[in-house]
Amino acid sequence: MTEISHLTLSFKNEKIFDDFSLLIKKGEKIALSGESGKGKTTLLNLIAGFFPNYRGKITVFGKELNSANISEIRKTIAWLPQDTSIAVKTVKELFFSPFNFALNKNNKPSSNELSTIFSEFALDENLLTKKTNEISGGQKQRILLASCLLLKKPLLLLDEPTSALDEKIKKKITDYILKQEDLTVIAATHDDYWKNKSDKIVVL
Amino acid sequence: MEKVIDINYFELFTGYALMLIPVFALWYYKTGLVKDTLIATARMTVQLLLVGLYLEYIFKLNNALINISWVVLMSIIASYTIIRRSGLKMKLFFIPVLLSGIISIAITDAYFLGFVVKLNNIFNARYFIPVTGMLLGNTIKNVVIAVDAFYKRIDEEENYYRWHLANGATKKEALLPFMRDALRVAFNPMIATTAIMGLISLPGMMTGQILGGSNPNIAVKYQIMLLITIFSSAVLNVVLTIFFSNRIAFDAFDNLKKGIFRK
Repeated sequence: MTEISHLTLSFKNEKIFDDFSLLIKKGEKIALSGESGKGKTTLLNLIAGFFPNYRGKITVFGKELNSANISEIRKTIAWLPQDTSIAVKTVKELFFSPFNFALNKNNKPSSNELSTIFSEFALDENLLTKKTNEISGGQKQRILLASCLLLKKPLLLLDEPTSALDEKIKKKITDYILKQEDLTVIAATHDDYWKNKSDKIVVL
Repeated sequence: MEKVIDINYFELFTGYALMLIPVFALWYYKTGLVKDTLIATARMTVQLLLVGLYLEYIFKLNNALINISWVVLMSIIASYTIIRRSGLKMKLFFIPVLLSGIISIAITDAYFLGFVVKLNNIFNARYFIPVTGMLLGNTIKNVVIAVDAFYKRIDEEENYYRWHLANGATKKEALLPFMRDALRVAFNPMIATTAIMGLISLPGMMTGQILGGSNPNIAVKYQIMLLITIFSSAVLNVVLTIFFSNRIAFDAFDNLKKGIFRK
């Protein structure tokens, strides 16, 4: 269970959250909705521990978000940034980098897992031989999403996961991710299809 | 041995005419660096002339405590220069930078002067001060480039750093690509210069020694050792500076503090 209670956060005298609370059950799929600048990305970043200066309480799988628990909490999440222009040279690096960390070494995907997810995400395995500047934004987004899923973390924090995808692929990927039963997914999204398929829409 | 030709003060003054070339180019391209260049040149002249006078005196005294104090003073000035040039906050970074400088110098000085040159007293002013001065002078540039590249890139590529951190990396793992790049940027030019040394460039110290009347063979041997010592000291200094400073540059959640940069 992930719980946000009485969250208050301001940026440059502007209140982004004012006594905001949210309870997310294990396996629940949450779509964060609302206009730009209303705090969707900020909420994901707060859960990932990128903004420590907030008031209120955030608990992830029973652990309160604080300096003592941040490492443990980050072990349970996989995060997809909104901006997928990550400064790595090759697609292989983009996909496999997280599996080089000690924590994820054992989750390095087998060739079967790799083929399955690439096929589900309509990706060609030959993409792994390319440079990141040779592939499209949509392909980058799918590569990062696939990598996030294969990390096999119980909580996915996804920032606009389908923003660069065309309709057909978008639906396929949305269905694939949101049907994962034990996986808790919190996604900031403008996409109606994703919102409708989620268990709960939280309007910020 | 040929007699050494001294340069009198008038001749030294005429040598400054060469500065017209860089000053003109920097002015012509509106770099805004003319004032800095003139101040730097004036400072260099005054400092070296004073050091010349001071070293004569210090060599005569040859007191270990005075020599060490002199080196600590040089390290303080070097640390100040490094932080000023890197655009980081003096108050936060001074101690880690100074500490790294002193440790790296202590290790490489002790090895070179004590183990290689086999001085009975490694604090002998004639060796300890010029060698340490060369080490400090040559490592400043590398530390500035590395520290600047390291922190600025984490700040600019925050998304990249966070992507690592939020997908299972420890802070050390998340910082690794930034450390790797900082070392590459700082030491690639040094490696290139080292590789062509003697072919198309003669190092300053060796040239100075030869002009000062030394046997070229001795000058070459000292130069080789100094280049190795400088390289080793510079890498050690960069690694330690980043190691010590990253303890204060990140918050308890491993995020880079925004307040580390000077406005």
